[in-house]
Amino acid sequence: MTKLRILLASLAIGLVPLSAAAQSMTPMRGEVRSFTDAFAVRVFPGNPYDQRIRVEIHVYDQDFQPIDAQISPSAFLLAGQASRPVLVVVPFDGANDRKVRICTESIPFPGEQTQIRAQICGKFFGHRRF
Amino acid sequence: MKFVRAAIGAALLVGCAGQTASAATGNVLFNGSITATCTLTVNSNGTMTVSNNLQSLSSHNAGGSAGSVQVDTTGGVQLSVDPVTTTTVPSSDTTATTWTPTFATTGAQTIAETGTATALTVPGTSTIAVNLAGIKGGTNRFSAGSYQATVTVRCE
Repeated sequence: MTKLRILLASLAIGLVPLSAAAQSMTPMRGEVRSFTDAFAVRVFPGNPYDQRIRVEIHVYDQDFQPIDAQISPSAFLLAGQASRPVLVVVPFDGANDRKVRICTESIPFPGEQTQIRAQICGKFFGHRRF
Repeated sequence: MKFVRAAIGAALLVGCAGQTASAATGNVLFNGSITATCTLTVNSNGTMTVSNNLQSLSSHNAGGSAGSVQVDTTGGVQLSVDPVTTTTVPSSDTTATTWTPTFATTGAQTIAETGTATALTVPGTSTIAVNLAGIKGGTNRFSAGSYQATVTVRCE
């Protein structure tokens, strides 16, 4: 059932505009219509550094509470100046519309007093159609 | 019959005489759409130093330094810092600390130091100075040892 949901939700990916790579995360805005109980968004986290970094993808609601979305992959190493696609499937949880934030977070350099975590968040709006 | 055909043909030729050939023209439209984008690059982390009265551990204090982050954006995004939730303090420090992260930008857009979310409307490259201050109240003091805190800078 889960695989079926992912498969059906993936059909909605085509509605998301594909953007060029080499950004920290593109797109940062999106509106998706889905005929299933979930909607899918494909984002492209990018690594602006010259060295490899560890990147994590998180999904939050409007109040920055974590959402139990399926993220493939949710954490990975990204080569310098590289970008890769990440598929995020967000359940509607019974609602007809859902606004979420999909955030790309870089892991800070260790061993410093004040570490800085860079977070790029895109806002996405899912509409359920019957 | 031949005469009629010849007359019609001649009439058509006469009608075309003196007409210049006209080239067809057409417009080719190009459309482009740029959605909001934002790239954050951490240039350097910050350093906090303790004040003389041992009640302030801050990047604003003498010898301290702000963290530096470069932001490249098309505009139409918002910059913010999260409240500090992840800290490491020495075991000897058992009293509460109030952590306050702030940021300011220079470059394409100048933002005075603030702790609240601020819109980045000007496209281009700006440099964010990230500061963090820890304050202890009353008779509480910072103690010897290593402190570490993580500030989340968000562009959305």
